[in-house]
Amino acid sequence: MAHQRGGSTVEAVKEPHSVSLKVLRLSRPSLSVQHPLPLPTPGASPPDSPNTFPASSESLAYPSAKNDAFILSPLLTLPPAFGSAYVGETFSCTLCANNEVLPGSVSAKVISNVRIEAEMKIPSSSTPISLILVPQTEKEEEAEKGKEHGVDLEPGQSLQKVVNFDLKEEGSHVLAVTVTYSETTATSGRIRTFRKLYQFVCKGCMVVRTKTGALPSMGEKGRRWALEAQLENCGEETITLDMVVLETKEGFKSQGINWEIIGEGEQMDRPVLMPGDVQQVCFLVEEVIDDEGSGPEPTDGRLVFGILSLGWRGPMGNRGFLSTGALGARLK
Amino acid sequence: MESSSGGSTPKRHSRHGSSGRALPRRSTRGPLDINESPISPSSGPTTPSTLTHNPSSLLSPTASQYATPRIPSPAIGSNLSNITSPSFRTARTTLSPSRSTLSTNSQKDFTFLLRPEIYHPLTLLDVPPPFRVASTQPDPSSPLEDLIAQGHLRSAAIKAAQLLTSPGLNTSDHEQIFNLIYTRLSCLTLCNQTTLASQEVKALEDLNSGYYRNDHDGTHLVPWELRVLAVRLQGMGFNDARRGIMGYYDLAREARLTLTGLKKKRKVGAEGDENGKLGDDIKMWETRLEELGIRVAGALIEMEDLEGATRFLATFKPSSDEKRQELEVRKALLWLCLGDVEAARKCISALSTNGEQDHERKVILALAHTADSDFDSAVEVWEELVASEGLEKGEMAMCKQNLGVCLLYLGKMDEARKILETLTDERNSFHALTFNLSTIYELCTERSRALKIGLAEKVAGMQEEDGKKVGWEKVNGDFKL
Repeated sequence: MAHQRGGSTVEAVKEPHSVSLKVLRLSRPSLSVQHPLPLPTPGASPPDSPNTFPASSESLAYPSAKNDAFILSPLLTLPPAFGSAYVGETFSCTLCANNEVLPGSVSAKVISNVRIEAEMKIPSSSTPISLILVPQTEKEEEAEKGKEHGVDLEPGQSLQKVVNFDLKEEGSHVLAVTVTYSETTATSGRIRTFRKLYQFVCKGCMVVRTKTGALPSMGEKGRRWALEAQLENCGEETITLDMVVLETKEGFKSQGINWEIIGEGEQMDRPVLMPGDVQQVCFLVEEVIDDEGSGPEPTDGRLVFGILSLGWRGPMGNRGFLSTGALGARLK
Repeated sequence: MESSSGGSTPKRHSRHGSSGRALPRRSTRGPLDINESPISPSSGPTTPSTLTHNPSSLLSPTASQYATPRIPSPAIGSNLSNITSPSFRTARTTLSPSRSTLSTNSQKDFTFLLRPEIYHPLTLLDVPPPFRVASTQPDPSSPLEDLIAQGHLRSAAIKAAQLLTSPGLNTSDHEQIFNLIYTRLSCLTLCNQTTLASQEVKALEDLNSGYYRNDHDGTHLVPWELRVLAVRLQGMGFNDARRGIMGYYDLAREARLTLTGLKKKRKVGAEGDENGKLGDDIKMWETRLEELGIRVAGALIEMEDLEGATRFLATFKPSSDEKRQELEVRKALLWLCLGDVEAARKCISALSTNGEQDHERKVILALAHTADSDFDSAVEVWEELVASEGLEKGEMAMCKQNLGVCLLYLGKMDEARKILETLTDERNSFHALTFNLSTIYELCTERSRALKIGLAEKVAGMQEEDGKKVGWEKVNGDFKL
C-alpha cells in the first residue's frame, strides 16, 4: 500500500501476534505484454542452417501455439503496485488475516474466532466510515445477529476479505483495519487484537470548467442557452469518456450536441483523453413553458439548470464517475 | 575514514568514487568536516579543494556509472559513414564497374561489429539463487545450437558474444557474424536484458546503409529477423520510439517493393517450374508485410499512444476471413487496455460461436467481464473454457491462470492458489503465473520469501528434468524476490 503507518497495538502485548494481516489493492488486473521475436519466415531458412535462433514462441507471454506478433496477450497479471487513487473511482482492496503459527510447533496455539473490521477515514469527516467486507462466510452470516463469531483458522490458513469504497474527495485517506482473534493454548486463552493503518492520497482526475451563454430565443418557445464545458484529464492515465449528461431540473430540457450524435453508417467514437488532454462538450438548454405560460423562476437572480454527470473508463475498464455542483445562468 | 583517505589526492575521489562510497561521506558532513580541519593543514593546500570539490565528485561518478564507457565511440560511426557512399548501389556500379565485379561479399569487412567493448558482461545479480546453482548450468563448451535447444538462453547469449569476439572468426563472414549477433540480441531480450541489447544494437548503426548490401545484386546481407529485431531495440537504445516506427515503415516499403517485383515476375514469367518458388516467396513477403503492420501497432502501444494504435488497426484490410477474425481479437484486446469495453465487445460480435473462434470469443468476453469488475461472470466464462474440449495446451494454461486471478478478486484466494500451483506442477513457468502466485504468497503469510524461493526452486528444477526447453530464463522479478 502507498504508505503504511506504524501499526499501533491496542493491547500492550510484547509477544508477537500469531495472526498477520496482509493487504493488496485490487486495481483491475492488466493484460500481459509480450515482445515477440520476429516470426520465422515460412520455408525461408534452408534446413541445413544452424539452429542458433531461439524460437519466437519463447518470447510469448505464455506458451501459445498461435505465435502472434501482437504486443498484447489475454493473460492477466495482478496489479504490481498501489498506483494512483483518483476521485470518482472505486477503491478496492483485499485484506488477508493469516494464521502464522508454524504447523507442528511446540506452543500448539489454537487460533479461532478471527474477525477483520475495516474503516475508511476521509478528509472531510473526523468519524471514520465503516466498510462492508465481502464475501461473507456461512458462519458469519449465521452469527450476524450476535456479532460474536469469527472464523477458525488452522496453521497456515487465511481469512480473505475484499472491501470497496467510492472515492469522492481529494486528499489523505486512511484505511484502518482491525484484526481480532482468540489465541488458546493448553493452559490459557485470551482474545487479542491489533490495528493497522494504511494511508494513501486521493487525487483529482477530472477538472470541469463550465460557461453558459444565452442564445437568441425562437419565437414563443422560451429562452435558450448553450452550456459549454471543458473536461480536462489531470490524472496520469489515459481515459475514455463514457458518457456526459446534463441532468436538468424541472422546467428545463437539454440536448447534448457531442460525440453521441453520429451520422448514418458512422461508428461512435468515444473521446480518449491522454493525461493533460481537454475535451470540450456542449449542451443546448431550453426552458420549458408550462400551460400557464410561465417558465422556471430564478433564485437570487440565477437560474439553475441542473448538474453535469460524467462517467469514464480508465485502463482495463476501471470506472470513474463524477457530478458537478449546480450549473446555471445568471440573469442580468 | 576521512583522515586516511583525506591524505590521498582529491583526483582519486572523482575517478573511483562510487555511489556506495560517496554516500557515507555525505552523511558524516558537518561535525566530521569540522574535526577534519585541524588535520587538513598537514596535507597542504589540496585539502580545502577536497571540500569544495566534494559535491561535484559526489555527482559525477554516479553519472558516469550510467553512461557506460562501452558505448560505441563516435569515431566508429564516422568511419562507417565514410565507407558507405550515400547513394550506394548505383553510384558504385556506374563509377567503377570493374571494381564492383571484383568485390565480392566476402571482401566486406565487419570488424567494427566484433570489438569486445560492444558486448557487455552479464551479471548474475538479477538471477534468483536457485538458478545460479552450478549443477543447473550447462557445460560452457557446449555448442551454441545445444544451448539454444536446451533453453539455456543466458549461456547462449554469453557464448554468442564469445564467438563474435574470438580471434578465429572471419571478419568478412557476414552470414556467421549476423547470425551470431541475432542470437546474442534475441537471447538478451529473453533474459530480461533488453536494456543491454538496446545498447549493443547501436553498434549496427544504420542498417539501411548501403554497406550492408551486396554490391552485385543489392540484396541485404543481414537476415530479415535481425533487421526486424534491431528496429525496436535501436529505438530504445537511441531513446527515440518514433525511430522504431519509422524503422518498420522502412522495412515495409522494402517488402512492398519486393512484392511488387515478385508479382510482376509471376505475371510476365512463364508458368514453369519457377512458379512454385515464386508463389512461396510472395507468400513469405506478404506474411512479413503483415507482421510489420502488427509491429507498428505494438510500437504505438509501447509508446502509450493507444488511441493512435486503434486508429492504425482500423486501417487494416485483412485478406481473408481468418485474418479478419485475428484482427478483431487484437482490436478487442487493445480496446480493453484502453478501457472501452463496449468497443471490445463489438469486435467479437462478429466471431462465430463454434470451434476455435468460440474460444477466442469467450476469452474476450471473460476479459470484458473482468474490465466491468463483474468477476462472478468472468469466473463463469473461464470455468466454461477450462471445461471445454479442444482447447490447445497453452490456451488452457492461460484460461486457468486467468481463472485463478479472477477468483482472488472474489475473495477465494485458497482456490486461486491451488489453481496456480497446479499449473506450476504441470511445468508451466511463464512470468505472469510465477508473478501472480508470488503475489498470492505475499498475501497469505509473513514468511512469503520461503514460499517464493520454493517456487523458484521448483521452476529451476523444471529445467533439468528432460534437458529440453521447459524452464525459461528467470529473474528475481518473476518471483518478486
